Amino acid sequence: MFQNKNKAPKGLNIIIVGYGKVGSALIEQLSQEGHDITLIDTNSVKVQAATNLYDIMGITGNGASYSVQMEAGVEAADLLIAVTPSDELNLLCCTIARRVADCAAIARVRTPDYSKEVGYLRDKLGLAMIINPELEAAKEASRILAMPTALEVNPFAHGQAEMINYKVPKDSILNGLTVMNLHKHITCNILICAVERDKEVHIPSGTFTIQEGDVISFVATRKIARKFMQEIGVSTHKVKDTMIIGGGKASYYLANQLLLMGVDVKIIESDRKRCEELSILLPKAIIINGDGTDEELLSEEGIEYVESFVPLTGIDEENIMLTLHAKQVSNAKIITKINHINFKNVIDQLDLGSLIYPRYITSEAIIAYVRAKKDSMDSNIETLYHLFDHRAEAIEFRIDEKSEVTDISLADLPLKKNLLISFINRDGNIIIPSGNDCIKVGDTVMVVTTHTGFHDIRDILR
Amino acid sequence: MNSSIIRYILGQVLKIEGILMLLPCLVALIYQESVGFYYLVTALLCMILGFLMTFKKPSDFVFYLKEGCVTTTLSWAVMSFFGAIPFWASGEIPSLTDALFETVSGFTTTGASILSDVEALSHCSLMWRSFTHWIGGMGVLVFLLAVIPMTGGSHMNLMRAESPGPSVGKLVPKIKSTARILYLIYFGLTVIQCILLLCGGMTLFDSLATSFGTAGTGGFGIKNESIGGYSPYIQWVVTIFMILFGLNFNAYYLILFHQFKKAISMEEVRCYFLVILASIAIICVDIRNYYESFSEVLRHAAFQVGSLITTTGFSTTNFSLWPQTSKTILVLIMFIGACAGSTGGGIKVSRFVVLFKTVAKELDSYIHPKSIKKIKMDGKPVEHEVLRSINVYFITFITVFVVSLLIVSFDGHELVTNFTAVTATINNIGPGLNMVGPTENFGFFSNLSKYVFIIDMLAGRLELFPLLIFFHPAVWQDLFKSKFGKKRR
Repeated sequence: MFQNKNKAPKGLNIIIVGYGKVGSALIEQLSQEGHDITLIDTNSVKVQAATNLYDIMGITGNGASYSVQMEAGVEAADLLIAVTPSDELNLLCCTIARRVADCAAIARVRTPDYSKEVGYLRDKLGLAMIINPELEAAKEASRILAMPTALEVNPFAHGQAEMINYKVPKDSILNGLTVMNLHKHITCNILICAVERDKEVHIPSGTFTIQEGDVISFVATRKIARKFMQEIGVSTHKVKDTMIIGGGKASYYLANQLLLMGVDVKIIESDRKRCEELSILLPKAIIINGDGTDEELLSEEGIEYVESFVPLTGIDEENIMLTLHAKQVSNAKIITKINHINFKNVIDQLDLGSLIYPRYITSEAIIAYVRAKKDSMDSNIETLYHLFDHRAEAIEFRIDEKSEVTDISLADLPLKKNLLISFINRDGNIIIPSGNDCIKVGDTVMVVTTHTGFHDIRDILR
Repeated sequence: MNSSIIRYILGQVLKIEGILMLLPCLVALIYQESVGFYYLVTALLCMILGFLMTFKKPSDFVFYLKEGCVTTTLSWAVMSFFGAIPFWASGEIPSLTDALFETVSGFTTTGASILSDVEALSHCSLMWRSFTHWIGGMGVLVFLLAVIPMTGGSHMNLMRAESPGPSVGKLVPKIKSTARILYLIYFGLTVIQCILLLCGGMTLFDSLATSFGTAGTGGFGIKNESIGGYSPYIQWVVTIFMILFGLNFNAYYLILFHQFKKAISMEEVRCYFLVILASIAIICVDIRNYYESFSEVLRHAAFQVGSLITTTGFSTTNFSLWPQTSKTILVLIMFIGACAGSTGGGIKVSRFVVLFKTVAKELDSYIHPKSIKKIKMDGKPVEHEVLRSINVYFITFITVFVVSLLIVSFDGHELVTNFTAVTATINNIGPGLNMVGPTENFGFFSNLSKYVFIIDMLAGRLELFPLLIFFHPAVWQDLFKSKFGKKRR
């Protein structure tokens, strides 16, 4: 806590309304990056807890009230982020903040009722961003189900490239290969940009040897990624069917996505009324009314035979138990959603496979926005992902102007250590860069690094 | 308990003390005094020790409330000890107990002295005495927070343990900025006062020492008759600044940001001024025949009231000789003290406001047994936790007071002397009545009583609990056990 890392000497004034899962994840990250944060929550106990934990100011009150916002200093604020449980309250908070002061506003809106109108709402209310963690979580889950051998799939360059995390199994041909020799065995052009081994994150150099149990993450276009996976001998077919436990918002979004992809969906939900709603919303899905944690019911519905299994109940412990159970009885691809529990080291040891943290998905999107906003200079952050539990970051920069990094071949750039330029997107073409390539104006460039807090493309230089 | 971080912060505190001690060295250089040598040696000693203690960064930065309390108390103890060394080593205060008493009295902004002839001290010692007030007024840990880069919010626990007041809040989101703003206001006010005093014909040395004493609401005079020998203009300036430094610093922050209306509508500020005005009025009537002109009556009344309610302890006249009503009022306002969030001591105006509101609520509940009423302060409901802590504080205060009084009575002095001596130390005021009156000193007490006073002064400055936590066995167990039982990763 005495670290002398003055990453951001002057931070933004940020007001966060609502101290829940996303709120706390945001505060943790943003206060570390040196922003001035004021938290508003109606629950004084929560506010007290937050101010004890982080270096922020807390105000007890209704975030949508004008006087409370004034007390929080909305007039001097750069950004207001509303992440209370209620969509309407979030929108109201942002609307008032927009009227009172000239600050950007971000609202979390989760209800499917509004999900189709997000664009309209954002424009009409003048919001900077509307985020829907449940939808984003569902999208991420569906990307993984489209390539079930991957642990995690993140889109970059507006979906033109994907960053895929893959755990190297025992008998893989990748075992013992160095990164340099990879191209001798495999024809397609991919770049391994980060490797997690024994809880350490490495940005591999050419001599790095891949071992069994490593989690490698690589960048490629979707087509090439598929080809690569085939070459190393793993199937890349998307799953045929999936079983979802719980019928919440995330389940609806996921089912919707999967049905569009042509995957058979079965949802088990205990509340009869919700089942009826779902059956109206998702006519193609099979809706089962029953207790998803009932072993008999799961067998009856064929948990042994499904190709994928996604527990999406609101209770993390249940999700984890269901995952562990499914791992024992079937070979299905399993994705576990973790809402709020923390015990990360315990979860890591359980080896649950693919994990989805909706709160991090949300906070990543917002932090990317904040970092980009903080810096109104020539480069801008397009997307940002945290890899391996925040120990590495993948950041996509948009290059709008000439700077020290442009038009110089990469081999000649004095780059920082533990950093890799993993692709350059030039006019929609994904270039996996070699030493001779250079960054040009108009590109977007993705950088993978274990440094944190990059704001500008020039941060990659020493 | 995380003992490595406690060691680290103590080291930082020592470093800062070493640097601050260069000021008396400078004074010694100007006045060509050999005593300055002892300050220089002590300053170097502090810096070297501090450097050694901070050389190894702590492995773990986890910091909870108990660490905050323990660190705060230990810092004050360590600071007082090293601050006392020059007095003792130079022979200006031959007894170590007395030297400690004088330094603790300085850092805690009490201003009670054991010296019978202040003017015999060297200039650098006088400056150091007054400067300890200034350091102790806002608190050295708050200073630490302002200058040392820290992230994370858990050292709010440090500020909470050191700053006076029932509930300590921040002015701005970052604790570092908050600490800086506080020091900026503090520094600014001190400079203004210093300039005004210079305009009144004071020498630079006198005006600096007096400003330091006023700013920290300390009260060490550099003259035997305190402020009494200066011109009426200077007495008025000091009066006004004493009252200003007793004001809640949040009010200054609001004024700085043009929210003047909000600042004067703070309930605590209003009550504070109300008490001051009422006390001055009553005393004026009571002592009208003691002085020649009304302006003199008003000046002495205002000065003494301002000095005692803000717990500064300067005096312009020997109020021990005033009539009984005036003396009683002075003792009463000693207990009330300054506003929360100021540099003053005492029980604090805001605590009394809340306490009286609790009593009113209790009375209400006798008339309407089922009525529900939340106690409000500045239009906001006061949390139950805060109410509870204020009540407990009050009871604890009385307990500590009574126990101290009992121990001091072993010396065999009369009750008024003992009573006001304890009042003056636990509320960080300085002078009491009779044998500890403004023209007297604490030198005649036994060593035991002096240590009781030292503890009282620290307890009063740190608002009891950070000090009292040392009487909890778990703290001691934790301090020595913490190396074990923690799983290595």
